[in-house]
Formats: sequence, structure tokens, C-alpha cells
Amino acid sequence: MALLEVSGLTRDFGGLRAVSGLSFQVGAGEILGLIGPNGAGKTTVFNLITGFLRPTSGDIRLDGLRIAGLKPHAVVRCGIARTFQIVKPFPNLSVCENVALAALVRLGVRAEAEADAERALKQVGLGDKLDIPASDLTLSDQKRMEIARALATHPKLLLLDEPLAGLNPRETEDACQLVQAIRAGGVTVVLVEHVMKAIMRISHRVVVICQGEKIADGPPSEVVADPAVITAYFGKRAR
Amino acid sequence: MKRVLPVIAALLLLAIPLGVSNQFLLHLGITVLMWTILGLAWNLLGGYAGQVSFGHATFFGIGAYTTMILYLSFRLAPWYGMALGGVLGALFSLPIGLICFRLRGPYFSLATLAVAEIIRLVALNWESLTNGPVGLLITSLPQVTVFGAAINWERKEPFFVIVAVLALCAMLAAYLFTRSRLGSYLTAIREDEDAAEAIGIDTTRSKVTVLALSAFLTGLAGGFYGLYFRYVDPDAVFLISLSVEMVFIAVVGGLRTIAGPVVGAIFLTTIAELFRERFMVGHLIFYGLFMMLVIRFLPEGIWGRALRILTGRR
Amino acid sequence: MTAAMETLIQSLVNGVLTGSLYAMIGVGLTVIFGVMRIINLAHGEMVMLGMFSAYWSYTLWKIDSFLSAIVWVPLFFLAGMLAYRYLVRAIMPGGELNTLLYTAGMSLLIANVALFAWTGDYRTLNLPYAVEPLHPFGIAVPVPLAIAFGLAALITAALYVFLARTDTGRAVRATSQNPEAAALMGINVERIAMITFGLGTALAAAAGVLLVPSLYLYPTVGEILVVKCFVIVVLGGLGSIPGAIAGGILLGVIESFGAVYVSVAYKDTIGFIMFLLVLLFRPQGLFGAARS
Repeated sequence: MALLEVSGLTRDFGGLRAVSGLSFQVGAGEILGLIGPNGAGKTTVFNLITGFLRPTSGDIRLDGLRIAGLKPHAVVRCGIARTFQIVKPFPNLSVCENVALAALVRLGVRAEAEADAERALKQVGLGDKLDIPASDLTLSDQKRMEIARALATHPKLLLLDEPLAGLNPRETEDACQLVQAIRAGGVTVVLVEHVMKAIMRISHRVVVICQGEKIADGPPSEVVADPAVITAYFGKRAR
Repeated sequence: MKRVLPVIAALLLLAIPLGVSNQFLLHLGITVLMWTILGLAWNLLGGYAGQVSFGHATFFGIGAYTTMILYLSFRLAPWYGMALGGVLGALFSLPIGLICFRLRGPYFSLATLAVAEIIRLVALNWESLTNGPVGLLITSLPQVTVFGAAINWERKEPFFVIVAVLALCAMLAAYLFTRSRLGSYLTAIREDEDAAEAIGIDTTRSKVTVLALSAFLTGLAGGFYGLYFRYVDPDAVFLISLSVEMVFIAVVGGLRTIAGPVVGAIFLTTIAELFRERFMVGHLIFYGLFMMLVIRFLPEGIWGRALRILTGRR
Repeated sequence: MTAAMETLIQSLVNGVLTGSLYAMIGVGLTVIFGVMRIINLAHGEMVMLGMFSAYWSYTLWKIDSFLSAIVWVPLFFLAGMLAYRYLVRAIMPGGELNTLLYTAGMSLLIANVALFAWTGDYRTLNLPYAVEPLHPFGIAVPVPLAIAFGLAALITAALYVFLARTDTGRAVRATSQNPEAAALMGINVERIAMITFGLGTALAAAAGVLLVPSLYLYPTVGEILVVKCFVIVVLGGLGSIPGAIAGGILLGVIESFGAVYVSVAYKDTIGFIMFLLVLLFRPQGLFGAARS
């Protein structure tokens, strides 16, 4: 059975259908790339899965358990963590406090939470920046901290919303390695991304959506050759 | 040492009526302590959780009316009424919170303002319960003897002790709150509500809980108000400006500190009471003035700045 | 005409007349919010000051209260600009909640200075020509309210022309829609903000001047007016001028119908309940389009 099962997912904003009958699955241990042109509805899909938006219709299941329509905090407790396209740190708290809060929710004991936070921060490479206020970090480090914070909730599935956007080549490379390390640690990863080269390299499979509908689903090598995908990205002329 | 100091301060506070018999000074102290409770209560929600309520007069009024009505209609001693006033305030806060917390930032503030106005209008017009604009008056308080001596309710001393005990309880509650998990969760909510949800915090429940705690303390203070002044009417206890005063005490003193509302209450209430004593009207001039000055020049509040200088940070 | 019909039309007329003045206050608040994202809690005090200005013009100098608008409205425009430049501007970077608290302080300060200076007495202004109401088609129309309605319509129309036809007006609208883009297009956003604050203040004061013969006057009247004002702009959608006009008239009519068909005591409650419902279920306002 797939870890995450999305079927017939639809979301309307007023008269606009942002996501339309979307179905896809994520297997345990996979890295899945969710790509599509600007405004395709990728972030909306994330918001629907994580409970920040309620689906108009359709079903979302994690390990067979229905999670569609749950509030975000309940979704987290089921085992899905996320990061945000525009980073959302707790700006006035230290890096360690940021992550410790996430661990505290799960563990309920402050000392254990702090130890857990330090572990997660070492994993993402921020072990030496524990006491810096989150707002003083570089964008790249803030993104790492957000990943550590998500990991501190001990998710089965981690949703990363554009983790590479705004990073320089060196940082991109490091971030890719981090994603692979996270997967190796037993967490399934779905990422929304614009940086094509990187996502094609690290994803086992990609799902392409355009105007809220799925237009392709398969290994990266097949998807890049798919005429529907080329049309969606470059217009009809490019063919 | 750090644990002994607050205890000594508390004992000194309770001992003030032994040394001070000037009734005006005691009245001043009573007012300051009552506003300290209100500032502390508001600070839990507005400071720590970052939810700026402009409607706290609602809970104050509910506390005051509960105490008065229970005493006048059922002869329930006002000190019990006070506690029940707090409880009723907390109960009322639940539906109010569930409605208003669907909104964020300034929109939340406006919603609390609207709810408070609705409640004020109901209090003004539900005459069979509240006696409408005429208000409710207690002519005498029940006889109580402590250590064989009857308490003289015409003096300020007993009221001072009552409100001092309440204020100390409120401070203790605020202190425990800041060290609790709920306190941490609300810090997260203040910093970024979406991120708080994303790490598994039930933001609505956390906010409703702190509102209930805040409303309880506010209702308690409202009950004390009824007991002390022995008279309430809707324009005395349900007014918007009352809600605004609570906000100002906390902000001027210093948000997110326990001593902040104490400092704010001492500072603002003393000036206002002295002015009121002399001129009757317009004592809130200073509230407005200091609010503007603080937001402009001292956003962390008087105590917040003092703390920063004392601890030598930056 | 049946009696029931007459009551209906009478309360509709009353509602629209009062509503036109509400609309003007609402427009003032909403333009300020649109351009600066400030929810100005001191807006009601501007109306109060407008009312007192007209009141003193009449009682001290025997100047007709409506006529005094010619002097007061430009003065309040200037005062608003200065208030923005020297009081509000420095607070802007602190964010929406800080400006909310700051203007709350301003509101309390102004109201209490007024209370100190003029006492809390309720005052009324009776114009000599306004004793008998007009009776067109058997409907009673109070003269001062009719004049106020006419002038309010005129001022609102003038504002519309200003916003639609002049360069400054277009700049105000552009800034309101997107401050960054407006700044990139070479609009001096600071100047526009100052003008807008002046404009909003002048509209509030003008409404005060027009309202004074029809309303009780006391220093804390602004407290209730500003809350009504929020109802109006939220009904119409924060930042929308046509919305504020519609919201103002709607609130006037709701109150007037509420007073007749529900109860005088609870007429204000209806407005507040609608306000909450709109905030919760249609935050873009009754007339705004749904956004994602």
C-alpha cells in the first residue's frame, strides 16, 4: 500500500478551480517531485494535504487513514510535516528554540525536546548555530532550520515547498544531499520545485501538474520527454 | 535568594495597611492593584499570545454584574460571587473566542470590539436582569468577623487586603503560565501562527484556553470592582474605553513581562487618580498620551526597557 | 398609501439620509486604510472635533453650522496632513497592530482633552430654520438632515471626481492598489499618504459638521461613531470606496428599520451582528469579489 494516496482531489476558489480531480500516490521511501508551471496549483496541493486548505472534494489518505479536512496540527500528528515556500521561522526565538518547540509538542518534556532539537539541527548542519536568533540566519540556513523543525515532529512524510528556490549552486548541492540523507533516514519526501535540473536528479518519480490537473506521472527521464509536459512548459511552438 | 525575594515583597504588600491608614493612599493602592490584575490578565492574551483584544470590558462587566446580582437576589456573599464572576467570564469567553479567533491581527481586534459593544447594549437593555442604565447598588455588605473582630467595610483596609491577595494570585498564575507548555505554544503562535500549526500546535484551542484564563482573571477583578464600589452600571463596566485602558496598562508597562502590568498600573493609575481627584474628568488624557509616547519611543514598554538596561543587553 | 407602507417608506428615507453621512465617515476611514493599511481608531474623534467646530462656530460667532464647513473642512485637511507627517508616519514601520494601538491612544487622548475642555454635557444645536420638518409626499424629512444629505452627496461626488480625474487622485488609487508598484512608477508614496490622511480626516470632520444639528454632541461620541464606522467599511469591504458608500447607507437603513421593526434599544446590535457575520464569512465585504 502507498504511504500517501491522493484521489480525485479538487479545490475551488470562488469560481476558479485551482486543483481539479488530482490523483497520485507516494510510496514509502520515495522522493517524489511535484512540478508544474507557475500557478499550476502545486502549493495549493501542499496546503490541501497539510490541512491549511479544505478540499472541495476528493480524498487524501496516509497509511490508509483518511486525513482530508483535518486541521493542520492534526495532520502533523498523523505524521506529515511541511516547510513553507516563503520561510516561516519564529523570528525572535533562537534556532534551537524554534526546533525545540516542535519537539516539545510531541514529547511534552522540555529537556528531552531540547536534546531532540539539537539532534535534528546537527542533522541539517546547523549544530553550531543553536543560539542565534532565527531572523539572523541566511535564507539558506533558515530553510535548513525549517526542515529541522519539520523533522523534529518525527514525520513519516515530509513535504518541502521549494526548498531550493533562492539558493546559490553550492547551497543547492548541499540541500540536495540533505534531502537524500533525510530519505535515507527513513522519511519519505515530496518536494515542489522550480529548479528542474536538481529535482530531476534527486527525484525517483515526478508528477507534473498544469492548471490543477495531472498531465504526467513517471520517472524523470520519461517525463521530460513527454509531449504534454513540453507543451505545458514551453507552449505549443516548442514542439 | 531569588525565591525568597518575591515572598518578602508579597508579605510587605500585605502589610501595607498596618502602616498606612491614609484612606486616599489606600484607595490609590486598591485601584493600582485592581488595574494590575487587569493588565496582567490582558497581557496573557495580548502580550504573550499576541492577540490584541479590545473587548475585555465584557469579562470585567460580567464579573461585576455576576457578583452584584448574586448578592442582591440570592444574598450570596460577594467574595463567592467574585469567584463565580470569574468563572462566568471564562465561560462567556469560550463562544466569543471560537468566533473571534477565526480572524487574525487587526481583524481579531475589531471583532472583539464588536462583541463587547453587543454585550454592552444587551446589558443596557436587559432591564429585568441588570436594571438597565440605572445600575445596581449594594447598600451594605454582610458582617464578617476575623479573629473575633468585625470587619469594618467603611474602611479601605479590608479591600486592600482582598485585592492584594487577588493580585498576588494573578501574578503567580501569570508566572506559572509563562513556564507552562501552553505559554510556549502561545509564543509560537505570536511569532507565526501558520508555522505553529505546522509543528502540531492546536492554535485555536491554545488561544481559547488562554482567553478563558485571561477572562477569568478579568471577571475576578470585575467582581472586586462591584464589591469595592458597591455600584455598577453598563457605562461603568462595559465601556470600550475600559477595554482600551487594560490594553494601555500592559503596553505602557511592558508586554510579555509579569512586572510590566504592575509598573504600567502604578504609573498610569496613579497619575490618572490624582488628576481625577482634582478635576473629575479627563483623567484618561495621560493614558492616551503615554500610549502614543511609548509606541513611538519605547515599544518594549517602561519595564521592558528598564529590564534591558538592568540586564545590560544591547 | 396605507399606514404600514408609510412607515416603511418613512424609515427607508430616514435610513438613507443618516446613512449618507455614515457613508462619508466610512469613506474617510477606508481611503486611509486603502493607502496606508492603518485602521485609524481616532477617526471617530475627527468626527467629534468636526461637530464641536461647527457647534462653536454657531454658538460663539453665530455662523451657520453648514456654512462653517467652508472653513473647517480645509483646516481639518491640513490638520490631518500634519498629524500624519508628525505623529503617524514614524509608527508605520511597526506594523498594523502598533498603528492600531497608537491610534487608540490618539483617540483616547483627543476625547479626554475634549472632555476636560468642554465637559461631558450632552449638547444640541437647533438651527432656526430647522424646526418644522418638510413633508414631501407625506413623508416627514427633517430639514438639517436633508441639507446634510445634499452636501454629503456633493462632497462625495467631488471626491469621486478628484480620484477619477486628477493626477493626484489617480496616484492615490494606484498607491491603494499596490504601493510598491506605485513607488516604482515614480509616485511619491509619502506625499500621497499625507494627502490621503488629510483627505480622510477632512471627510470625517465634514461629516461631523453636517451631523451636528441632527445628533447629540458630547466629547466621547466618537467612540460609538468609530465602531459604527468599522461596521460600515467591513460591510463594504475594507479599502473600497464604493463599498463604504453602500455600507454606510446599508447601515443607516438597517438601523432605521431595526428601530421600527425590532426595537429601538437593539437597533445598534443588529449592525454589530451583521459586522461579525461579514467578518467571519465574507471578509472581502458584501460587495467585493471572492478572492483566494
